[in-house]
Amino acid sequence: MVLEEVWTSRFMWFVYALIPCLCTGEVAVLPAPQNLSVLSTNMKHLLVWSPVIVPGETVCYSVEYQGEYESLYMSHIWIPSSWCSLTEGPECDVTDDITATVPYSLRVRATLGSQTSAWSILKHPFNRNSTILTPPGMEITKDGLHLVIKLEDLGPQFEFLVAYWRREPGAEERVKMVRSGSIPVHLETMEPWAAYCVKAQTFVKAIGRYSAFSQTECVEVQGEAIPLALALFAFVGFMLILVVVPLFIWKMGRLLQYSCCPVVVLPDTLKITNSPQKLISCGREEVHPCTMAVMSSEEIFRVWIS
Amino acid sequence: RYPEGAFPHRSAFLPPTVCVPALWGSVPWGMKLQCVSLWLLGTMLILCFVDSRSLRKCLISTDMHHVEESFQEIKRAIQAKDIFPNVTILSTLETLQSIKPLDVCCVTKNLLAFYVDRVFKDHQEPHPQILRKISSIANSFLYMQKTLRQCQEQRQCHCRQEATNVTRVIHDNYDQLEARSAAIKSLGELDVFLAWIDKNHEVTSSA
Repeated sequence: MVLEEVWTSRFMWFVYALIPCLCTGEVAVLPAPQNLSVLSTNMKHLLVWSPVIVPGETVCYSVEYQGEYESLYMSHIWIPSSWCSLTEGPECDVTDDITATVPYSLRVRATLGSQTSAWSILKHPFNRNSTILTPPGMEITKDGLHLVIKLEDLGPQFEFLVAYWRREPGAEERVKMVRSGSIPVHLETMEPWAAYCVKAQTFVKAIGRYSAFSQTECVEVQGEAIPLALALFAFVGFMLILVVVPLFIWKMGRLLQYSCCPVVVLPDTLKITNSPQKLISCGREEVHPCTMAVMSSEEIFRVWIS
Repeated sequence: RYPEGAFPHRSAFLPPTVCVPALWGSVPWGMKLQCVSLWLLGTMLILCFVDSRSLRKCLISTDMHHVEESFQEIKRAIQAKDIFPNVTILSTLETLQSIKPLDVCCVTKNLLAFYVDRVFKDHQEPHPQILRKISSIANSFLYMQKTLRQCQEQRQCHCRQEATNVTRVIHDNYDQLEARSAAIKSLGELDVFLAWIDKNHEVTSSA
């Protein structure tokens, strides 16, 4: 009888304790974030999850991680994420937390005021060697005859393998290792009238993996058009000089001749043309000493000048 | 075409081919002696080159630069907590310097285990920033152990007496101090260990 009374009173206490929860209809505990996953591309790791929706409220999230070392030797240690001790968005950049090529466990919980949810742990630990490596972006330029490449800057963990060759049958493919992107690198001095092709891939030493090669890009070296026009212009100019200069010299000569040593020209009035006076030359006829010699007008003028 | 982790290496040294066995009888004594010594030198060089080359290839994919960088950020804080400045656990640089190439693999394996199994476990770090860096180093060491183990399954990593002695000295030095103090001191001497790895494994850092 006594035992029955004790059980009955305890049962009633339990029922009374449940009444507030049954009446209010509110969730006392914040739900834990769901669907945790890591999106990783080119060594940038983003932890994402489904947001916890509380109408009219802003839910914050905390992220913690544990490397393989911690999980093996000190499983109670969880390290707060560098950037997401309390973050609003349902995502967290954990790149600075995942610093070794070992599996990392990640966990998230939601916080709203004084309420915190349970921890939600990533189903499968994440290893950064599973990151997706994409072919690098590259810019091929010609600096005269120089083949220059500029690669995408992917950070200090990335190196680039650049393969380039002359586009002709049996051409040898050359490879150059480029330590970092964003700086133009000279590949080769090209030969005129030749086409060159280039492709590149990334290499991440920390995980020992290569990306796929980028699309091949080819460039052609033309270069002849400019010297041809120049040669044509030079030829025309030379021919002009060949004609103009002698003409100029001749003209200048004539000018100098006229100005320095002019030719004496008699005026028309002193010229004898069909003169009625007879010209008598010495020695042909007997000449009387007292006979007057008839001279031409030119002779008269000459005698007069001298 | 480009196997992971492999880079072009210079070819091995080849001994001179002047000592053809068929002509051995007609060669004068002086020349015979010269030939023998050249062959011995060549063989030794090949062995040393092959052996050290294999070790370099083992840790070639480790990001040592990041490990060194992580340590440099916490070095001052860690060494400031060392209350026994006149004592050393890694037995000074000279002991590590005296390790022969044939013992490098064994000593590396043992020292990595020393840090992973004892030092990091015995250290309790309250500051989250320092804890992150120590975690980074510890996990990197774990990765290096795995890489070394995989690599050494193909080539043997024998532990000779000299290598075992060096490891024992280090453990004995550690045991002479209280665990926490010993752990702090060993953490503070990480730069000695990292420099030694750099020198003996020629791991190029990706800066």
